[in-house]
Amino acid sequence: MPLNLLGIRTLEADQISALIDLGRDFKQRVRADEAVPNLSKKVVGMLFFENSTRTRVSFEQAAFYLGMRSSNFATSASSMSKGETLKDTILTLRHERLDGLVMRHKSGGAPVLAAKHFGGPVINAGDGQHEHPTQALADAVTILERKGRIEGLKVAIVGDVKHSRVARSNGWLLEKLGAEVRFVGPRTLLPTQTANLPGTFYDDLDEGLEEVDVVICLRLQKERMEQGMIGSVGEYAHMYQINAERLRVAEAGCIVMHPGPINRGVEIDDPTADGDRSAITSQIENGVFVRMASFYWCFGGGA
Amino acid sequence: MRTLLRNGRIIDPSQGLDIVGSVLIEDDQIIEVGEIGDVSDIDEVYDCTDFWITPGLVDMHVHLREPGQEHKETIQTGTQAAAAGGYTTICCMPNTNPPLDNPAIIDFILDKSASPEAGGVFVAPVGALTKGLQGLELSNLGAMKRAGIVAASDEGFPVQNSQLMTDAMEFCVQLGLPIMAHCDDASLSEGGVMNDGAVSAMLGLKGTPRTAEEIATMRNCLLSLHTGCPVHIMRVSTWGAVEIIRLMKSLGAPVTCEICPMHFTFTEEHIGDFDTKFKMQPPLRTKVDIELLEQALQDGTIDCIASDHSPHASHEVDVPFDEAPFGASTIEATLAVTLTNLMHTGILSPMETINKLSTKPAQILHLDAGTLVPGETPVAQLTVIDPNLEWKFDRHKSFSKSKNAPFHNMIFKGKAVLTFCGGEIYRDQRFPSERYAIYM
Repeated sequence: MPLNLLGIRTLEADQISALIDLGRDFKQRVRADEAVPNLSKKVVGMLFFENSTRTRVSFEQAAFYLGMRSSNFATSASSMSKGETLKDTILTLRHERLDGLVMRHKSGGAPVLAAKHFGGPVINAGDGQHEHPTQALADAVTILERKGRIEGLKVAIVGDVKHSRVARSNGWLLEKLGAEVRFVGPRTLLPTQTANLPGTFYDDLDEGLEEVDVVICLRLQKERMEQGMIGSVGEYAHMYQINAERLRVAEAGCIVMHPGPINRGVEIDDPTADGDRSAITSQIENGVFVRMASFYWCFGGGA
Repeated sequence: MRTLLRNGRIIDPSQGLDIVGSVLIEDDQIIEVGEIGDVSDIDEVYDCTDFWITPGLVDMHVHLREPGQEHKETIQTGTQAAAAGGYTTICCMPNTNPPLDNPAIIDFILDKSASPEAGGVFVAPVGALTKGLQGLELSNLGAMKRAGIVAASDEGFPVQNSQLMTDAMEFCVQLGLPIMAHCDDASLSEGGVMNDGAVSAMLGLKGTPRTAEEIATMRNCLLSLHTGCPVHIMRVSTWGAVEIIRLMKSLGAPVTCEICPMHFTFTEEHIGDFDTKFKMQPPLRTKVDIELLEQALQDGTIDCIASDHSPHASHEVDVPFDEAPFGASTIEATLAVTLTNLMHTGILSPMETINKLSTKPAQILHLDAGTLVPGETPVAQLTVIDPNLEWKFDRHKSFSKSKNAPFHNMIFKGKAVLTFCGGEIYRDQRFPSERYAIYM
């Protein structure tokens, strides 16, 4: 069986740590212009059924650093739009001898199905509301850089937890590595049953932020208003926006993160997004290195 | 032609009969049950020692998919699968393409199911309650009743408008036509693909809350109470729905209900890593639900067990979870699942097991089935069951065209080994050959 990176929940803590270490090592080497492994024989398909320029570019950049070729599929122009099933698309790519797949899909579990039929490594670049493992790895590297550790930290993940794959992957990763995870949001945007999820749940932002070392904001989708899950953007911002005022109850050195794209003035205010506490740009950069780590790991190079 | 099924345990809930004895069939009719007086001129004998002889099983809830979805199942394959499952009478659901919403299609179903190529079981169609299953206007229920429907239902697309449902019930009282109601408040279940609970939260899948089923169950029971229309609640899955039905029965509402084998066998946990074989409607619930559903089976709140046989082609289920259709191919396993999980565990007695799989469903829908009393059914309908046969269900050996079977590879105790509907329509290869003798 090839190694896949389908999610964080099914990984062991030592596997996660190995991926993080690899990512940090690649970062140091790329920045110092030192040699990194060469996977020049590998061709990886970029299969983005949901648009995401930022994540796709990050994976392409990672592939480039490793000397790989990436092959892009504009899914709207592909046979998928002609009614081909996901299974047949995957089988086609398999027999076109692609070595690996990076896949984003609107349906949770779609990468599991792809891995079943592809026969080579599949990396989940975000599936529905399920998992986004490379984002969680990027965030873990960022936290390690800023705080020096993960174990024992208090981390609040704030916003639309119910519909967020970033919340799930981050929650599992941070808990497996020994952090105290708190999910914060309005009750309409928290899961109704939490027995199978990590962490503890808060509907009160002040309680959730008390003494935290890290805050991860989640993006608020506009459709949640249309679905009646919150009254208005203004109401949400008033109750859950991360800003200097709300962060007073957090640890003095608390950092603020956001997986992007940001709704400035909604889940986070401008001064916080651009200020000293913000680690948002580091998250983006680290994304490239953990995606290198993911490729290298999946192709049998480590861990 | 005189056929003797000799020395079996005869279990007939319609007359409270549980004795060791024989059944004599002449041509296609049951002549005598119990101690047979005249055993001369017997042409063939099935030795049923240690087996059960029961009224032919009755399945109230089957999707035969024809017309329109013959790639999933046909009347021929579906009825053959039914015979292999021990059934002699089945009700087919109206969500075909086009739907069963007019007398011409009912004629088509009845003709086709009576043809020699079909499995030999009686097919009793359930007509669409509203035209095109659209939930907007009533179908021509009177004409369909005359054509032969035994109940009306919008199946998986239940009427949301309570005024329309009230009118439907008033009219069905007049026609003497029971309504079969899948209970679902669409405003709560829209987009839901599994139980709203701890597993859906983990997988990030949109959940269908139990309230969607329970609110609609309550509404339909209340309308039944106030209109007097017999309403059969399809596929209960939550303890709350059962409590509502229990309450409404105690208030005198003419309601009955069924459970499907998936809902007392599997939970949401079985979905595991997005396994579409376990995508059901209503969704698989929790251990607590199963415990209370078992109690309700035991105390009779749940009247019967139906397969909800829902075949789908392989390519339709090998897709991401939220794109997969609901349901599973179950008709060949339902008896075995029931015997294994409910009878051998002591939850249901043999008599009550057969009652829920045969006599009760026949009574609810006024079908000429579910009894061994001579002359009570158009032809002899009976099933011989080896209650102790251990076997593994293999979907590749099933008669159903579709292999979306969550019971695949499970080991069961108990199986129909002979199905008789006018004549032998199914004999399992595990029915020992030395137990059959022919003297013609």
